[in-house]
Amino acid sequence: MKKLVSILALALPLAAAQAQDAYVIGVSGAMTGPVASNYAPVVEAMKAYLEHLNGRGGINGRPVRVIVLDDQAQPSRAATNAKQLLAQDKVLILLNASLSSTYAPMVAESKRANVPLYFAGAVCPKETYPPADPLQFCSTAFGANLDSQAALAFIRKNSKADVKLGLAAMAIPIARAEIDYAEGLSKTMGMTPVEKQISPPPAPDYTPFATKLNDAKPNWVWSWSPWVAQVRTFEAMRRLGWQGSYLTWAHLNAEEELARIKDPSFYVIGTNAMLEDNLPVHAQVRAVAAKANLPHPVSYLTEGFVAGMVLEQVLKNTPWPPTPQKALAAMNQVKVDLKGLRGGPLEWTKDNHFRTRQYYRVWHWDPKASRVARAQDWQAIDVKR
Amino acid sequence: MQLATNILVLASIYALICCGYVLIYRVSRVLSLAHGELMMLGAYGLYATASLFSGHPLVAIGTSLALAAAVGVAVYLALMWRMTGESVLAAVLATIALGILLRGAMILVFGTQTQHPLRELGWQNASLAIGAARISAVGLVLVLSTALVYGGLFAFLRLSRWGIRMRAAGQHPLLAAQRGIGLHGIYALAWGLATLTGGLAGMLIASDAGLESTLVVIGLKAFPAALVGGLDSLVGALLGSLIIASAEVLLIHYVDPLLSEVVPFVVLLVMLIVRPWGLLGSREELDRV
Amino acid sequence: MSGYYRTNYLEDVALLDTRAQKAWFALFIVLLLAVPFAVGPLWLDLANQILLGSIGAVALMLLTGFAGQISLGHAGLLAAGAFTTGILFKELAAPFWVTLPASAAVGAALGLVFGLPSLRLRGLYLAVSTLALHFIVIHAGAEYETKRGYSTGILVDSPLTDARHWYFALLAASTLTILFSLNLLRSRTGRAWRAIHGREAVAEALGISVQRAKLSAFVISSALTAVAGCLFAYFRGFVSVEAFSLYLTIQYVAMIIVGGMGSILGAVLGTIFVVLFPHAIDALMAASGLGERLSSVVFAVNYAAFGLVMIFFLVLEPQGLVGIWRRVRDWFLLWPFKQR
Repeated sequence: MKKLVSILALALPLAAAQAQDAYVIGVSGAMTGPVASNYAPVVEAMKAYLEHLNGRGGINGRPVRVIVLDDQAQPSRAATNAKQLLAQDKVLILLNASLSSTYAPMVAESKRANVPLYFAGAVCPKETYPPADPLQFCSTAFGANLDSQAALAFIRKNSKADVKLGLAAMAIPIARAEIDYAEGLSKTMGMTPVEKQISPPPAPDYTPFATKLNDAKPNWVWSWSPWVAQVRTFEAMRRLGWQGSYLTWAHLNAEEELARIKDPSFYVIGTNAMLEDNLPVHAQVRAVAAKANLPHPVSYLTEGFVAGMVLEQVLKNTPWPPTPQKALAAMNQVKVDLKGLRGGPLEWTKDNHFRTRQYYRVWHWDPKASRVARAQDWQAIDVKR
Repeated sequence: MQLATNILVLASIYALICCGYVLIYRVSRVLSLAHGELMMLGAYGLYATASLFSGHPLVAIGTSLALAAAVGVAVYLALMWRMTGESVLAAVLATIALGILLRGAMILVFGTQTQHPLRELGWQNASLAIGAARISAVGLVLVLSTALVYGGLFAFLRLSRWGIRMRAAGQHPLLAAQRGIGLHGIYALAWGLATLTGGLAGMLIASDAGLESTLVVIGLKAFPAALVGGLDSLVGALLGSLIIASAEVLLIHYVDPLLSEVVPFVVLLVMLIVRPWGLLGSREELDRV
Repeated sequence: MSGYYRTNYLEDVALLDTRAQKAWFALFIVLLLAVPFAVGPLWLDLANQILLGSIGAVALMLLTGFAGQISLGHAGLLAAGAFTTGILFKELAAPFWVTLPASAAVGAALGLVFGLPSLRLRGLYLAVSTLALHFIVIHAGAEYETKRGYSTGILVDSPLTDARHWYFALLAASTLTILFSLNLLRSRTGRAWRAIHGREAVAEALGISVQRAKLSAFVISSALTAVAGCLFAYFRGFVSVEAFSLYLTIQYVAMIIVGGMGSILGAVLGTIFVVLFPHAIDALMAASGLGERLSSVVFAVNYAAFGLVMIFFLVLEPQGLVGIWRRVRDWFLLWPFKQR
């Protein structure tokens, strides 16, 4: 125990000492653990991008230091990490890339220290929508209610007959809330929701849920959940002989999965451009990933890159010497050019810490060309009160 | 018809997982709470051998099955052997600890991303028609394997010498030991067989749905099935699996899909109140004090 | 005999006998009270977590370490306490002195409902029954969250916000729990528990109602655990189903295994170990320079090391940290004579 204390005592002051001549930001993320595959790529891509900037002279001539602490999606560890980052490392901006159960402790800590809290990998809390909480910001792709609006708009536009809508979600409160919203919305758009299936997370076989959905004979199904529930419901329905079209949210692994499933009626909707777009920025992503030796497939890195670019712009607008207040002022009016990674720039205002416009694209697999293809190009939705 | 098929597939999954619980409990009165992790280990084994022997799927499957059995025996020899003779409480806690160790080791070696062993084997999970219902190829294999495994186990326990020794050791360890039956060998065999069937279940579920951490929780969900049938009866495990699977599927279809998570445990509670030793379990061990 | 005799009932029930013991204890209390002023916010937070965890650990120790019943529903009971608090807070704006006894009542009720069927029997049926408790409680919690629209969780206003205030509050709560347990164990109920843990048939023959003893153990343990859950809710300011997984149960089970079964001190030592263990592993990895390279597998290393440590204690050191502590203490006590 004594040795342990001495090791800890050595490690901590060393870390604090180096913070003086760099922009310091801190991240608490689910880097390891069962849900890490959704969050770790985001954090590592963002860190790699900022390291890449450091290699080219940094921001405003100064380096950026990113301190990443693993909270394993546990609220108590997130609280401890937040305390350490704020008190010990004196970070300018606190980031969260972890499960929603870690939000409240981090929000409490950030409020106490009056440091902005930026959600970079996980679902955006309602407090970032206008009217926004002064300290909470979010750049993550998915947006509650907005996603369903865009999805149902796509379905209505692309359906040749009257839409009989099936809905599927995993039995977690966030997904259920979204699907319930979609159900209500679909009725106002002239669609008929015929069946809604909520499947509990550890289901050994999705066929019973798919059977119930299939019996209602929907021609379209919209699903918004963690990827496993979305794709397994779809696969089970196909095995039952269902021929309709399935629209679902594009998670980090969507591009890979489209190539695996190879079904032209399986659509994914999302806000982050896919590699098939082959933009110059994608070459940059590949280069940065290769240099940093990231263990994740390149298609998983867009979200993290977006976060990195947002941070770059924010810190550029933060005059030296930086303080959390100056960073906050920069975040309250920033417009970031994402170079095509999303449908348009990301803009935060004092009132709107989510973004002023959300852009959606829809993709599916094109069997003739044997590649991922766009089913619909960027459609914008304004984010208002 | 489709409902019946769904019930059959789900019941097969549960039954295959349960026979591991039953085997170990029957022989050593220990609840192996590491079964879920051992299932996952079996599935990873298939993934590893499929990548290793790509192009020879049958070799991969055979190797992974053999590996699973070997791991079971190894687990006994390394850990559970020391727990024989200790209180059952300690043995159960040891299995919990083992489960955690295995989970950590698997993440260390394989990472957390979802894997698809079937793709590595180069096979597709096609959809087949049986009358008016449809079933997936893996589902059909599941049902058939469960039937084979249970048939094999019944034959083994009733007809072969080692099987009879196992039953004897389960009934009365002290007498069996005095008769000359090597208890450690029996227990090792039980663990090997249990891990083999659990690993097979894990492989098949992973082939159907992909390999990820929720596999472990499915192992726990099969528990009520074992209990309802009687923790030391294989026939009971079959019966229990059918009952639980039917309850789940019918509830999903006719009432509310969310209940399917909770219903197995409610059935379990009802059984505990009404008939705690299960439908076909042996009564003597569970008598009141 | 060492020469310290108890000459009246008051002395008989005292927890501390000799002046030396009382002096050491007073020093210990002074040190404990000085902690929030002496350590940084990081360690203070860890101390708070240890104090909060110790309440749940002591509750589990009563059930498993003393009465000998395995329970796998600890996370479910914590969740029950936390959700009772959250629901009462949101629906009725109930204050702290209402939610605390309400959580205890809910815990006791759950203990009764899930304990009755399984405690008539020998064997591991409580373990199975409590597994059912876990899934059912979590399901109910998720239903509430969804139906009332708190899809990311229920926010609870805490009466205390400063970490130092929390330290003293939790210290008081933990001390009360420990005192309560120590007295309970020395009472008739506690002796009945020890008897049934030893040999159920003999206990029954001696006139102890085994069923009632087991049930009382489970009900009291559940009530205490639910209270810990209520404190959890206030401490974090937040209640959501994702925080209560089976891994949480396993962590508590580890606390009592590593601490040493059958000892309240063991529960506390075990809590300290389990709370500090992941941080210790992180510090070790950082200090040994492997930190950067292995950062993506820290969790897995943590997990595997955790399992390994549990197995080590089960197989080689069944008396846990308490056993080690006793050996060390006896070595000092008997010095310069050798311990046989």
